[in-house]
Amino acid sequence: MSAVWRAARGAVRRRRIQTFVIGLVVLMSTGTIVVALGLLDAASAPFDRAFGKQRGAHAVALFDSGRVSDSQLTRAARQPGVEAASGPFRRAVLELPRKTASSFGMDTGMAVVGRAAPGGPVDRLDLWAGRWADRPGEIVLNRAHGWGTDELGKQLEVPGGPSLTVVGYAFSLSRSADAWVAPGQITGLRPTTTQMLFRFNDSSTASWIRAGLSAVTEELPSDSLTASQSYLTIKRQIGSSANAYAPYLMTFGVLGIVVAVLIVANVVGGAVISGFRHIGILKAIGFTPGQVLAIYLTMVSVPAVVGCVLGTVAGNLLARPLLEFAFTGPDAGVMHSSVGGVPTWVNAVALLGLPSVVVLAAFFPASRAHRMSAARAISAGSAQRAGRALRIQRRLASSRLPRSVSLGLGLPFARPGRSALTLAAVVLGVTTVTFATGLATTMHRFGSVGEDAYQVVVYAGTFKDGREVDPEHSDRDLQSLLRSLPGASEVTARGYAHVRVAGYPQGVGVEGRRGDRTDLGDVLVEGRWMRDAGEIVAPTPFLRERDLKVGDRILLEKGGHRERVTVVGEAMAGNSRTVYSNWSTMIAVSPEEEAIAYHVRLADGADTAAYMAAARAADAGISPTANGPNAITQTIVGSASVLTLMLAAVASLGVFNTVVLNTRERRRDLGMLKSIGMTPRQVTVMMVSSMAALGLAGSLLGIPLGILGHHLIVPEMTDAVDLALPAYMTDVWQPSALTALAFAGLTITSVGALVPSRRAARLTIAEVLHNE
Amino acid sequence: MSGRVRRSTVLCMVIGESTGQTEPAAGQVVVRLEDVRKEYGETAALDGVSLEISAGEAVAVMGPSGCGKSTLLNMIAGLDRPTSGSVVVHGEDVGRLGEKALALYRRRHIGMIFQFFNLIDDLSALDNVALAAQLTGTPAGQARRRALELFDELGIADRRNAYPAVLSGGERQRVGVARALMNRPALLLADEPTGALDSRAGEQVMDLLLDLNQIGQTLLLVTHDERLAQRCASRLVELADGRVVGEHSLDDGEHGLTEDEKNDAHSLGRTA
Repeated sequence: MSAVWRAARGAVRRRRIQTFVIGLVVLMSTGTIVVALGLLDAASAPFDRAFGKQRGAHAVALFDSGRVSDSQLTRAARQPGVEAASGPFRRAVLELPRKTASSFGMDTGMAVVGRAAPGGPVDRLDLWAGRWADRPGEIVLNRAHGWGTDELGKQLEVPGGPSLTVVGYAFSLSRSADAWVAPGQITGLRPTTTQMLFRFNDSSTASWIRAGLSAVTEELPSDSLTASQSYLTIKRQIGSSANAYAPYLMTFGVLGIVVAVLIVANVVGGAVISGFRHIGILKAIGFTPGQVLAIYLTMVSVPAVVGCVLGTVAGNLLARPLLEFAFTGPDAGVMHSSVGGVPTWVNAVALLGLPSVVVLAAFFPASRAHRMSAARAISAGSAQRAGRALRIQRRLASSRLPRSVSLGLGLPFARPGRSALTLAAVVLGVTTVTFATGLATTMHRFGSVGEDAYQVVVYAGTFKDGREVDPEHSDRDLQSLLRSLPGASEVTARGYAHVRVAGYPQGVGVEGRRGDRTDLGDVLVEGRWMRDAGEIVAPTPFLRERDLKVGDRILLEKGGHRERVTVVGEAMAGNSRTVYSNWSTMIAVSPEEEAIAYHVRLADGADTAAYMAAARAADAGISPTANGPNAITQTIVGSASVLTLMLAAVASLGVFNTVVLNTRERRRDLGMLKSIGMTPRQVTVMMVSSMAALGLAGSLLGIPLGILGHHLIVPEMTDAVDLALPAYMTDVWQPSALTALAFAGLTITSVGALVPSRRAARLTIAEVLHNE
Repeated sequence: MSGRVRRSTVLCMVIGESTGQTEPAAGQVVVRLEDVRKEYGETAALDGVSLEISAGEAVAVMGPSGCGKSTLLNMIAGLDRPTSGSVVVHGEDVGRLGEKALALYRRRHIGMIFQFFNLIDDLSALDNVALAAQLTGTPAGQARRRALELFDELGIADRRNAYPAVLSGGERQRVGVARALMNRPALLLADEPTGALDSRAGEQVMDLLLDLNQIGQTLLLVTHDERLAQRCASRLVELADGRVVGEHSLDDGEHGLTEDEKNDAHSLGRTA
């Protein structure tokens, strides 16, 4: 065993508390950084890989077949700036009965493209099951890998058209179609548009893609481009959940690293200052300056490496369920199987980066030990230090405060460097507590939306013995029945019609509402709720993706029905594919629709379970479900609470560590003070006062920083999922909450200071003074 | 000698009376140790020490390193507790006092001078001294005024705002003496008070201690320095291996004023 390692091991043993603190804080920050980086990577990297492999379309463009010819489109694809193009492909939209669509796992409006082969220069489809539709009468469905092949070989009956056999499954990340048929078949499906798939030389931003499309359509007849879709929209939808988690996890991770750096600098600085004599002795017996430096760096590297390894393992374990959770649902779910876990580069960065940061933080204070001559180090170990802040000490000495308190308040000024580091740790602790409290309040308010609007959702239809069972009552009778059951206060029927919006390739759902409420607990961020036919309320992501705003008009189409509607309100919701309307608006485009669910608000004090049991008894063909809490907000509130507690604990441990160092360094002073009559209680008061002053200052600085963090990070999170939160969810700071937070710094420092202070109060004077 | 008498007289006025609840008459026993034993693990630092010190007496404790001198001082100062036996100072059994009572005991009865001064680096010389009074609840202004008087008398008034780090060894020890005298202790304990000083500074401190004793301050010195003992003490207690192995009266040398001078100084001190 080398002399350096032996000496470093001794240093670690002497500083068990500091070693534990460093290890814990590095573990925590590594864990959160690993999860945050893992999410950030997952939000884009798997998509980019898969998109690159498929040579996905940067823009899917639909042209009016009546206004532009294939030869014009082929010429347009040769414009400068176009890297590659596929098409023209004929495209038709099939209106399928609801039962047919759901039995094939499709929407009722199915976009079918006639295409000769899955390959090509753009949008190379992943034909992962079956074969391509080479002949008329065959169809290939767009489905992500691993989502089941039960419909292979089944017949898809097109109303008023041919019967198509499902011969394969292909996946297009560009969402170029819901299904594909042979070019010979598409004419029989009455295509109305022509599809072109483009890759542009520059596709990094939405504006570049718009510019590329403008160049392509420059020489085409005006209005021939009927709809287009950027791959950035799809990418954003897929990564939105992961992007929602990443900002706050990254914030916690970075805060953790900064706290770790401060604590390490504090520990090593304190160790060097209090170990001057030790350094002198080491050098006197033959240790080189480099070896002395190595001892101090090794001393912090041991807990840093252990904490980092454990943190990386913990981060990987925590990331897996979070990634699975973030990549579920209709959009993000297509990448579910592609997102394995935390990528290797993240683990490499964590394992190499965190210990490096810690060692770097230790290097500067430790280099003092490197520079110091042996004689000076030995003499500095016993020589008195020059005092500091004479004026402040004098004012405090002259104040009316008890002397133990004024002495304590003067201590931070005697060690300004260490006090600044401790103050910074406390500021970060208070910032974290403030930020997380605000985040939790915002998320709680977000998650509570709709709680009062309804407590039970009754779905029409249920499954019994593997078979779908329809309700025994008709739609309107069922609504009346549910309304008449004991405990029911309001019942609102909800219908759903899949329609197309003129000008956009993707279909949307119109959620029609009938009954007691129009809002169902949704929160409006702008405008008003619909009152008449021809009015809709749209969620923020729906409007953002289509560049719409309140007051704009859109045309809804389904089969031969068309309805022009006005957007009268913007709702806070994360769904980009659904708009809300009253029942008459939905029926105007889809007359056959019936309610798919009934939202029941119970009277105060009514028993949810009893109502659900009564509903089941009244109609065996329904599925009552209690309205549960929001899983995403629960996850964020839960994880933020845990991280806050951990960081606050770490900040307390940082203070604890400072008091331990101060106590160790001031043993002689404390012994002397006790020798002239300071009581143990006065010693405790003095040491706690010294930290309480920092706690108060930490609160004054940390609270505004926490509020600022909340104002910066929450919009990042909500933007990721295209949410606009109303003011009552973001303005969470009340005077009472701020007062409570003001005590956070005091609590952190007082708790951190109490134990070592009491230990200091119990110092045996004779022993302390004898050691001098 | 006449100069020292004048100085002693002024010093006596500045120091004034002890804050002890009842002022012991000269010759009355103020410290009584009976069969005191102190063990650290297997080692006995003190092994059945019995000793009495009377008011106004100056006692020097000498002996080789490790003989238990400092331990004996710590027992009397209430900085440590005996394993067995009793230490009674001013009628209080120090070994039976709780932590808080011990602190109050040290405030009221004991002034302590250390070999390495033990000043607080971050406080000025004046604040170091005033601190001792402020701990007893004396208002800051009053404490500083009294500290200034002591600084004047000890000849370090011009150094009152200096930090300990810039003071010479002799100056630091004078500040230490001023701090020890701040609460007018009944008993002044000095642990190697000249041990860390050069010969000139050592001489100055010896003079100071001598002056203090001459105005009636009870003094217990622990020292290796035979000259210091000869000059300042009236009695020498020799320790070896934790036991008292000899006691001698020291009436020769420079120690002691005439009885008349002592009485004059003492009576002045009481009327100040």
